[in-house]
Amino acid sequence: MTATISALTYRYPSSTAPALDDINLSFEPGRLTLVCGPSAGGKSTLLRSLNGLVPQFYGGVYSGTVTVAGFDAAVTTARRMATVTGMVFQDPEAQAIAASVEEEIAFGMEQQGVPRDEMLRRCDYLLDLMGIQHLRNRSLSSLSGGERQRVAIASVLALEPALLVLDEPTSQLDPAGAESVLVALEALARTGMTIAVAEHRLDRLLPHADDIVAIADGRVAATGDWALDTVPGLAPPFALLAKQLGLGTVPRTVDDARRALSGIPVRVEPCPGPPSPGDPLLHVRDLTVSYGDVTALDGVSLSLRQGEIVALVGPNGSGKSSLLRAVAGVVSPAAGEVESPGVESGAGVAARTAHAALVPQDPSFALYRDTVLDEVRESLHLRGVPVSRAGDVLERWGISGLARRDPRDLSVGQQQRAAIATMLAHAPPVWMLDEPTRGADAPAKAWLSRALRDHAASGGAAIVSTHDIESAAAFATRVVGLRDGAIEFDLPVREALGHGGPMPTRTAHVVPGAILPGEVHR
Amino acid sequence: MHAGAWVAWVLMVMTIALVTTNPLYLCLLLLSILVVAAFAPRSATGALGFRVLFIGGFLLLGFSALIATINGGAGDRVLFTMPGPGLPSWLGGLSLGGPVTAENMTAALTRGLAILCVFLGFAIFNGAVSPHRVLRLGPAALFHAGLVLTVGLTLLPSTIADFRRLREMRQLRGGGAGIRHIPSLLAPAVIGGLERAFRLAEAIEARGYAAPPPMPLRARLAGFAAAPLALVAGWVWLYADALTALAAALAAAAMGTLVYWGVATSRARHTTKMRAESLAPLDIAGIAAALTVIGAALSARATGWTDLTYNPFAGLPSPSLEVAGMALMLLVLWPLPSLLRQPPAEDRSAIPIRTTGEATHR
Repeated sequence: MTATISALTYRYPSSTAPALDDINLSFEPGRLTLVCGPSAGGKSTLLRSLNGLVPQFYGGVYSGTVTVAGFDAAVTTARRMATVTGMVFQDPEAQAIAASVEEEIAFGMEQQGVPRDEMLRRCDYLLDLMGIQHLRNRSLSSLSGGERQRVAIASVLALEPALLVLDEPTSQLDPAGAESVLVALEALARTGMTIAVAEHRLDRLLPHADDIVAIADGRVAATGDWALDTVPGLAPPFALLAKQLGLGTVPRTVDDARRALSGIPVRVEPCPGPPSPGDPLLHVRDLTVSYGDVTALDGVSLSLRQGEIVALVGPNGSGKSSLLRAVAGVVSPAAGEVESPGVESGAGVAARTAHAALVPQDPSFALYRDTVLDEVRESLHLRGVPVSRAGDVLERWGISGLARRDPRDLSVGQQQRAAIATMLAHAPPVWMLDEPTRGADAPAKAWLSRALRDHAASGGAAIVSTHDIESAAAFATRVVGLRDGAIEFDLPVREALGHGGPMPTRTAHVVPGAILPGEVHR
Repeated sequence: MHAGAWVAWVLMVMTIALVTTNPLYLCLLLLSILVVAAFAPRSATGALGFRVLFIGGFLLLGFSALIATINGGAGDRVLFTMPGPGLPSWLGGLSLGGPVTAENMTAALTRGLAILCVFLGFAIFNGAVSPHRVLRLGPAALFHAGLVLTVGLTLLPSTIADFRRLREMRQLRGGGAGIRHIPSLLAPAVIGGLERAFRLAEAIEARGYAAPPPMPLRARLAGFAAAPLALVAGWVWLYADALTALAAALAAAAMGTLVYWGVATSRARHTTKMRAESLAPLDIAGIAAALTVIGAALSARATGWTDLTYNPFAGLPSPSLEVAGMALMLLVLWPLPSLLRQPPAEDRSAIPIRTTGEATHR
C-alpha cells in the first residue's frame, strides 16, 4: 500500500461546508487510479491532501489521517513531502522554473543534494521513460504543451516519489499531446509507480486507468466502472451508450465497445438536422496571418450564415486561434479580407467585435475587474449600452448569484460563464468562442450546447474552436478542420464526425449512422 | 556569459551611475551600456522589459527636468522665469515657480541621466539572466533572499505581459487602446504580475528549494554577532579618529562571523549541481574588472584620486574629462568579447511574441 487515506474530513478556513467528508481510500503500487467527479466536487482538494498542501498550506479544519510511504502528510515538512508525493498541476507553464529541459529536471535533485552521477543517471532514465530524450537540450519555451507536461512529470519524478499525483494534467493539451502524456503515464505505472490522476475527459483516460474513484460533494460517490453513469457530471460517451442499450458493463475502449455491441440489434434515430441557414453574417476571404516568419494561417476562406454553428477543429498550432483573432481584428492579416454586413472594411477591433465578439481561450485572462458585475458593466459601458442592463445580462446567462464575487475566486466553469457573459454582453449576432470546453465538466458542456443552439435558433451564428469532438457533436451544424494554417475539410456535422468521416466520434466508431449516444436505441 | 559575471556587471553599472555626477562621464557610461545592450542576449519577455524600462528611464529624465522647472532653484544664469506664488519661508525653502537657472537644469538632467543608466543596466541584466540562474548562484544561507529576488526579477516581465494581455481584452470588449486608458489597467496588471511571480516562488518551494534545517548554536551566534560588530566598527571609524586600526579589526571580525555563518548554513543544507555553469577565463577577468571598477569608483568618490563629480552651481564650469574617469566608463564594455564570441541565439530561443497564453501552442 503506497498511500492510505482514512476517515479524512476537511473544511477550508473560509467555508462552512466540508470540502471532504469521511474519505477512505488506498492507492496501490503499479496501479493508475482515475479520480473523477463533477467540478468543485472535491477532487483537487483530495489530491492536495496527498502531498500535505491540505491542510499545511491552506489551513482549515482537518481530521483523519493521510499516510504516504509511512509519512503523515499533515505534519511532514513540504521539503520532505516533495520526495514522497510528486505533484503535477494543470498548467505546465506555471510550474516551470528553469529555462531548459535538463535544468528543469535537475532543479529538484540539486536542492536535495543528489550526487552528480546519480542525477545524470536519473535524468537519462526519465527522459527515456517520458519519450523526450530528443528534447534534452531544448529551451522550455520552445516546447508544445504535451512536451512541457511530460517535462513537468519527469522533473517531479526525479525526486523518486512513492506516489505521483496529477491534477487534470491533460486539460490544457490537444488530443495528440494528451495521448502522449497518458501513454507515458501507463508506461510509468508498469514500472511499479503508484499514480493518481484527476481528469474530466474520461473517454481519454478510461483505456489507461486501472482503478476508478468518483468523488462528488466531498464523498466517495462510487468506485469501479459503474461509477461512471451514477455520478452526475460524469458522462463519457460509452457510459451513456451502455446505459442507453442496457449493457451490463461500461466499455473502455472502441474495441471493447464493438465486442459488447456485437449481436445486439440497434436502431439509430438521428437528431433532427438544423434548419437551412439564413442570411450571410461573415465572409472570410483568403486570410493569411504571419507572426514574424511563421505563417499561422495560409489563405483561409470561410463563410458563416444565420443559424450555423461551426466547430473549428485541428491540432494545436493549426491556426484556430489565429483565425478567430484575425476576424476580431486583434491581429492584422498579412493578406485577405474579413467582410460582415454593416462593418466597414477598415474597421477597428471595437467595431468588428460589436458584430462578431471573441471570447478568448483562458477565461481567467479575460476577467480583470473586482466583481463579475463590474466586468459586465465595463463591457456594456464600452459598447455604449446603458450599464443598468448589467443585471439583465447576468440573469440571461444564469449567473446572477455570482454578481458580487471576485472573478479570481471562481471555479473554472464559473469563470467561463462569467467570461462569456462579459464578452457577449452586447448580444452580438456572431459569437466566436476559443476552446470553451477546455477543463469543463459535463454539466458545463451541456449548458454551453444549449446556449449555442438557442443563439442559432434566434438567428445568430457561432464559430467554436475545440479539441472536444464529442461536445462538438452536440452543438455544431458544420465542422471545419484546420491543419498547418489551411482548411483540410469543411463538412456538415454528420459527415465530419460520422462513421467514415475525417473525425468520427466514439459513438460513430461503433454505430454507423449515429454521432451521439442518445441517437442509438435498442 | 556566466550568471555571476552578469551580477558583477550590473552591480558595477549601478555603482558607477550612483557615484558619478559628471554629465560627460554619464553620457559615456550610457553609450557603453547601449553598446552592451545591442549584443546582450535577451529573452522575449526580457525584450519587452527592456523597452519599457528604456521608455521609463527617459520619462523620469523628463520628469526630473519638469520638477526642476516647477521648483526653480539656485544659480545665476536664469534661462527663463516661471510665474508662481511666493511660498512662505516656514515651508522650509520650498518654492513654486520663479527663475529657472541653467545650473539647476543641468543638475536635474544629470540626475535623470544617472537613473536612466541604472534602469538600462537592470533591464539588460533582467533580459540576459533568468531568475533560475541567479537563484542557483546564491548559497543556501540566502534562501529567503533568493525567493525575494526571484519574485522581483519575475515581476516586471510578467506585469508587462499581463498589461499587454489586458489591453487586448479591453479592446475585445469594445474599448480603445490609447494611452489614456493605461491607468485603469495598471492595477489589474500589477496584481496579475504579482500573482504569477508568487506562483513561481511557490513552485520553487514545492520542488524542495527550502530553508536550511536548524543549525548548531555556534553558527547561529556568529550570525547574530555580525550586525552589532559592523555597527560598532562603523561608529569607531566615524567618531574615534585615533582608533582606525580597531575599526578595521572590528569590521574584519564582522565579515568573518558572517562568512562563518554562511559556510555553516550552506553545509547544513547540502546542494549539488548537475551542470555547473562554466566560468570562462573571460568571465573571471570580467568579474575582476568589475570589482576593480567598483572599488576605483568608490575610492574616487572618497579620496578624489580622479574626480567623477561635477557641481554646476559653482558657476557652470565645463565638466572635467580625465583619462582615468573615461577608462572607468569604458570598462563597462568588458562583456563584449564574450558576447561577441558566443552568438546570442541560445537565449533568443524561438518564442514568437504573442499574448493570450498562446505560448503553449508551438
